[in-house]
Amino acid sequence: MTKPLISVKDLTIRFNTDEGLVTAVEKVTFDIASGEILGLVGESGSGKSVTAKALMLLNADNAVYDPESSIKLNIDDQEIDVLSLGPKDRKIIRGGAISMIFQEPMASFAPAISIGDQMVEQLLIHSDMTRARATEVSIEMLARVGIPDPAQRFKQYAFEFSGGMRQRAMIAMALSTKPKLLIADEPTTALDVTIQAQVIDLMKDLVSEFHMGILFITHDLGVIAQTVDRMAVMYLGTLIEKGEVRNVLRKPGHPYTQGLMNALPKLDDLDVPLTAIKGDIPSPLDRPAGCVFNTRCPVSLGEDCESRVPVYTNMEDGHEVACHLAENAGTPA
Amino acid sequence: MTETLIETNDLSVHFPLKGNLFGPTPVVRAVEGVTVHIERGSFYGLVGESGSGKTTFGRALLRAAPITRGAANYSDADVSYDLTTLEGEDMTEYRKRAQLIFQDPYAALSPRMTVRDIIAEPLEVMGLTKSRDETDERVRAIAARCRINLEHLRRFPHAFSGGQRQRISIARALVSEPNFIVADESVAALDVSIQADVLNLLKSIQMDMGLTFLFISHDLSVVAHVCDHVAVMYLGRLVETAPTRELFAAPRHPYTKALLSAIPSLDPDDSGDVVKLEGEIPSPINPPPGCKFQTRCRYAIDICRVEEPKLDNLGFDHDVACHRWKELADDPQASVVEHD
Repeated sequence: MTKPLISVKDLTIRFNTDEGLVTAVEKVTFDIASGEILGLVGESGSGKSVTAKALMLLNADNAVYDPESSIKLNIDDQEIDVLSLGPKDRKIIRGGAISMIFQEPMASFAPAISIGDQMVEQLLIHSDMTRARATEVSIEMLARVGIPDPAQRFKQYAFEFSGGMRQRAMIAMALSTKPKLLIADEPTTALDVTIQAQVIDLMKDLVSEFHMGILFITHDLGVIAQTVDRMAVMYLGTLIEKGEVRNVLRKPGHPYTQGLMNALPKLDDLDVPLTAIKGDIPSPLDRPAGCVFNTRCPVSLGEDCESRVPVYTNMEDGHEVACHLAENAGTPA
Repeated sequence: MTETLIETNDLSVHFPLKGNLFGPTPVVRAVEGVTVHIERGSFYGLVGESGSGKTTFGRALLRAAPITRGAANYSDADVSYDLTTLEGEDMTEYRKRAQLIFQDPYAALSPRMTVRDIIAEPLEVMGLTKSRDETDERVRAIAARCRINLEHLRRFPHAFSGGQRQRISIARALVSEPNFIVADESVAALDVSIQADVLNLLKSIQMDMGLTFLFISHDLSVVAHVCDHVAVMYLGRLVETAPTRELFAAPRHPYTKALLSAIPSLDPDDSGDVVKLEGEIPSPINPPPGCKFQTRCRYAIDICRVEEPKLDNLGFDHDVACHRWKELADDPQASVVEHD
């Protein structure tokens, strides 16, 4: 069996703050294979972005990685231990083997340098191309992501691009170094629905063409359903449910995932009332003991849920759920 | 019998840009010739992509954007105003009756004021209460109605989550007892689990207090759930308007169809008969001639490129501005057949 492109195991990240050590991510475990899109869903503050940034060691200096955490990147029969990379070796995970695209493309480009110069610059850093060759490759990539008149666009600045075009340029830039893993952090959230549909199509095409792995972060379950192969649901820094996207969305096993689905307005039945999940997400400063969802859970069993962290249990269709109810009914994973 | 609360006729909002010395001054036609009737007690939805003019239209109704041309009237039981000429005392009175709820609850609340002061400010500015006790009483009443914990009134906004902040914004908008509310993308910045809570709150307040809402949103599934009438805007024009169920069951304008089909389905195996739109919304400084949607419409023919379609009534209170809606409706295949 081939090794997955990246395996993250027991990733725990805490931040040193004035108010003490804050746990942002706890015991997160997942793999991504080449050619696969893994969706990471969660609400604001659930730790999605912190997890993604950890893969490129982009978290701020006050981040403390638990000693049990491991992030292993497998490229060309070589295993790279990401968390032990020194400052000089980080080039490989920052724009080399891993690239990232962000939610707000306007904030991701330097405003005073042309799009083309920014694309060429990173190619010069990460490959041994000449400037002329890098220019050629960049223009080809702009054309590939569907930007009309790429040679002209190459010379323009970010403010001259519309929102959708900027996100395409961002994708072109991220892919021009031929990364093995692409991290897309809410890439369609700032876009209109019609443009969002275009960008999702583009990303799917690119996966089959370049055969890379994608970690796709979003809060939108509809986007997840149409884009990813497998998904993981995150709540307060913990993955509470994960598996094939079909299985998770058709038979969500965790009360939080079920709550999210019920809170979502659906177009095929306008009479179903929207059901909110009661309460607010607790602050990471007072993370609940036991199951992190127990303060808002409609079916909490009481003491058990409040004191012991649930283990993953396999549902009938094979996807995993971390919930005491499922634990009592099913078989441990 | 329902009555019209807000009525516009051929309403336009233009913003002149800084031109060069020679040649004409370029003008952004943000809203162009929009005619709507908003009935009292209705939850009226306005949808469209960014740049479609929906926010500007909402602001024009509140007189927060200048009305360049056309008519706009507000008529309540006791009073009616011509919104284009409103000024002085009438304007002050109208401000009590028409309020705005903003999109971003993080930017809308002053970090230096307590929740009590934030909610009380409209009462004080408009001089609606005579004593501090009376103000406090009204603040407490509206806070309770918006499910704000009364103990929280002494705190500052930074202590609250997005959902709680949005409830504070809603309380502030409602404290002067308005009867017309413009809610501009009021749930767009909220997480799904909180969004449902705020939508349910808005809806119950609207029913209990008999308010009229103009609900501006880019999210069609949200609009479908709370609104009873929907208007779709594109590049400053109204392209289709109908009762919600009618619009979602039988959309007629190619743009409405495309918007509906672009909403990603929750079923991974149902990618739907997606009507893919090419390109993006053109600039309102230099809109295309004829139908504004013709540059992205796959049904566009010669007439669409020269003549702008007018709103056509097709019964059931359903209006559409498209030259070809009839033939496209008669041909059920038309919505799935691609032409390249």
